[in-house]
Amino acid sequence: MAGIRELRGRIKSVGNIKQITRAMEMVATTKLRKFQDRAVASRPYSEEITGLVGHLASVLGEEVAERPLFRRGDGAKIAVLIVTSDRGLCGAYNSNILRVADKWFAQNRAADGPDVDLFLYGRKAYQYFSKRGYNIERLFVEPELEKIDYRGAARTANDLQDAFLSGAYSNVRILYSAFESMAKYIPTWIDFLPIEASTLAPGGDAQDFGGDVILEPDAATIFDRLVPKYLETRMYNALIEALTSEYASRRASMKNATDAAGDMQTELKSIYNRKRQEGITKDLLDIVGGAEAVR
Amino acid sequence: MAGALTLRVITPDHIVLDRQVDRVQVPAADGLMGILPRHAHMVTALDAGLVTYQVGGSEEVLFVSGGFAEVRGDTVRIVSEAGERPEDISEERASKAEERARKLLDDGAGGPGVQIDVLRAEFALRRARFRLRAKRRS
Repeated sequence: MAGIRELRGRIKSVGNIKQITRAMEMVATTKLRKFQDRAVASRPYSEEITGLVGHLASVLGEEVAERPLFRRGDGAKIAVLIVTSDRGLCGAYNSNILRVADKWFAQNRAADGPDVDLFLYGRKAYQYFSKRGYNIERLFVEPELEKIDYRGAARTANDLQDAFLSGAYSNVRILYSAFESMAKYIPTWIDFLPIEASTLAPGGDAQDFGGDVILEPDAATIFDRLVPKYLETRMYNALIEALTSEYASRRASMKNATDAAGDMQTELKSIYNRKRQEGITKDLLDIVGGAEAVR
Repeated sequence: MAGALTLRVITPDHIVLDRQVDRVQVPAADGLMGILPRHAHMVTALDAGLVTYQVGGSEEVLFVSGGFAEVRGDTVRIVSEAGERPEDISEERASKAEERARKLLDDGAGGPGVQIDVLRAEFALRRARFRLRAKRRS
């Protein structure tokens, strides 16, 4: 059994850890709220863009499938963007993503299968994949994932679009954590490019978007300007959702750590008190015994 | 007929404007375009420029960085990456951006690799000038 002084030291250090994890929990909570607000704030924009893309796709009809961004690329390789966090201490957030990625690689990276080039967001993924000999095409660090804004996401989307249009890849996929609820973040694949024309189904009010709409300059021009914006909003949504998941996960794991530290502290304290009492009782017995002997 | 049109300006960060106006002018890709109530259903691409709108007797401006406008049922919806009211624009920053863009254009003439940069600088210059104009008009 540990000595009484040792116990006191341990109680103190557990207390310190608890303070730190509680502070981290609070930081995660505020950041989580910030990203949630951003996700809500961006919704009208992305709904509007998605709606317009859908409408124009229905105006253009079959023609859409002929556009470069809607056709499978000529390249044999697949480009994959994986979004993880830069820092640890966020529970199983990263390992969940990486496990799903590994599973997909096991199926698609067979000896004769297509080669995969990785585009990564977040240092955790970089550490993981660089150790395992994957071909990492690019690690996005500018802007940092945490500081992502619409323009940063737009740049990332444009980079992927350029990579796709360069002809090196057959398609581009994204793996990120979709935010389902505070306690549920699901690693999710989305097919970023080519865009599947059928997914651009016009919204519910499609019928009043008949043939009588004036399109300036013309449908094709608007559409070609619109599609990159559409990709940007998809990228932005995915990154914001990943960040929301990350912070929800971080908050939960920090809360667990704080709770565990609290439990441990109580337990140690009760052991400590018992020992202290034992010590006092023993001392008393000694004193009483000594007094008896003298008499 | 006061406030017969609803003008909404939507950016990725927030809804910049949502109010009743009498008429709107947008910087469409083909040139300025005025929109009055009972306009036909229309979708248009926008260039960077100024959206002007009239409320009552006064005219107000807003800078947009491009994007799209949809007119439907007396609602004008503008989706743009940036929509800034004059009070949100920093004159200092815009002037600096203008200077920078001009300098790039002056220096960057020649060489095949700089074409994209020249284009970018031209866009930047355009944005800066419209921002300044929006600021000064108010």
